[in-house]
Amino acid sequence: MKLHTIITAFLTLALTAASLAKAPSDVDATSSSASEAEALAAWQKVYEVFSHPRCANCHVPEDNIPRWSGPSYGLTQGEWLNHGINITGGESRIGAESIPCMACHQSTNAELPHAPPGAPTWRLAPVEMVWWKKSSQEICQQIKDPKRNGGRSLQEVADHIGHDALVQWGWAPGPGREPAPYSSEEVVNFLESWRVAGAPCPAPTE
Amino acid sequence: MKKKLSVNGVQHTVDVDPSTPLLWVLREQLALTGTKFGCGIAQCGACTVMIDGVPIRSCVLPLASLEGRQVMTIEGLAPSDEKLHPLQQAWIEHQVPQCGYCQSGQLMSAAALLARNPEPTDAEIDGAMQGNICRCGMYGRIRKAIKSAATSRIAQSELHTFDKTDEASDE
Ligand code: FES
Ligand code: FES
Repeated sequence: MKLHTIITAFLTLALTAASLAKAPSDVDATSSSASEAEALAAWQKVYEVFSHPRCANCHVPEDNIPRWSGPSYGLTQGEWLNHGINITGGESRIGAESIPCMACHQSTNAELPHAPPGAPTWRLAPVEMVWWKKSSQEICQQIKDPKRNGGRSLQEVADHIGHDALVQWGWAPGPGREPAPYSSEEVVNFLESWRVAGAPCPAPTE
Repeated sequence: MKKKLSVNGVQHTVDVDPSTPLLWVLREQLALTGTKFGCGIAQCGACTVMIDGVPIRSCVLPLASLEGRQVMTIEGLAPSDEKLHPLQQAWIEHQVPQCGYCQSGQLMSAAALLARNPEPTDAEIDGAMQGNICRCGMYGRIRKAIKSAATSRIAQSELHTFDKTDEASDE
């Protein structure tokens, strides 16, 4: 009886100790997966913005052709056109080789319907920053790679989103064009929550 | 509001709302009607002028953005009253204009091209001229005329007409 009590007490102690020893890592695991889930949710909102026509139409691949996509062009999800009149940004990404972007895109939005939008500088994003038709995972990896994000830390990326005049244009694109979702302040906050939680990238999509 | 404006090397002072597109300042304030209105929304190229040597659609360019910049219109393209710009000469030789409405815009885009690229290939000509629409379809003649201006000896020595910035004034 005495032995049984001792064994029971020992087992209880051992189990308690084991459960005590296990508890913190479970908590950690739960909170880290919760924070990873939150971080991925924050990233998803960033992706919603980066893949929006106001951003992705000019983050195009090596063909250097600006795209026209989105409801502002009467197109549904997945449909797109090349920029009218066979325009190309060229390797310079500012049209220096043919027609400069600034031939039509001035420093402010033109106010008439279908007239060109404008910002202090108007250009395609550097070719290594392609977002057009890229998955959430691909853009996530690109944005974290200083070789492909303009040599920026993630804080500098957020600062760029918060202050660059052409990026800001995405939320004030002029008449007839749908602005990018959220606000630039919100996107900066999404980026920050994602960064402090370790900046995880989503799994690849099929 | 009074604004200073340099056009074809001449300083002007105009009194208009600074948001007024340059096209209307040229046509209505300065009576330089060689620059044409086609669409008013930067889609046709008829209103093309050069700003500091770059071809720009004047119909969407607010006057406010022109402080300290040099505007050249079709009226300023020829080096003198007696002499045409090599492109204008080639335009006559190849009988480019039909109705003529698009032609001052075509010439300004072509002049900007040759100023930065004196010997353009066909593809480079097409690239630079694709924003200038010709309702009469004179694209083949435009390309030929640009090529012949580019290869003429006169062209080689006189393409950089934008150096002609004698600061005369209308005041
Ligand atoms: S009138 Fe300016 S481009 Fe058509
Ligand atoms: S000559 Fe008629 S529109 Fe070009």
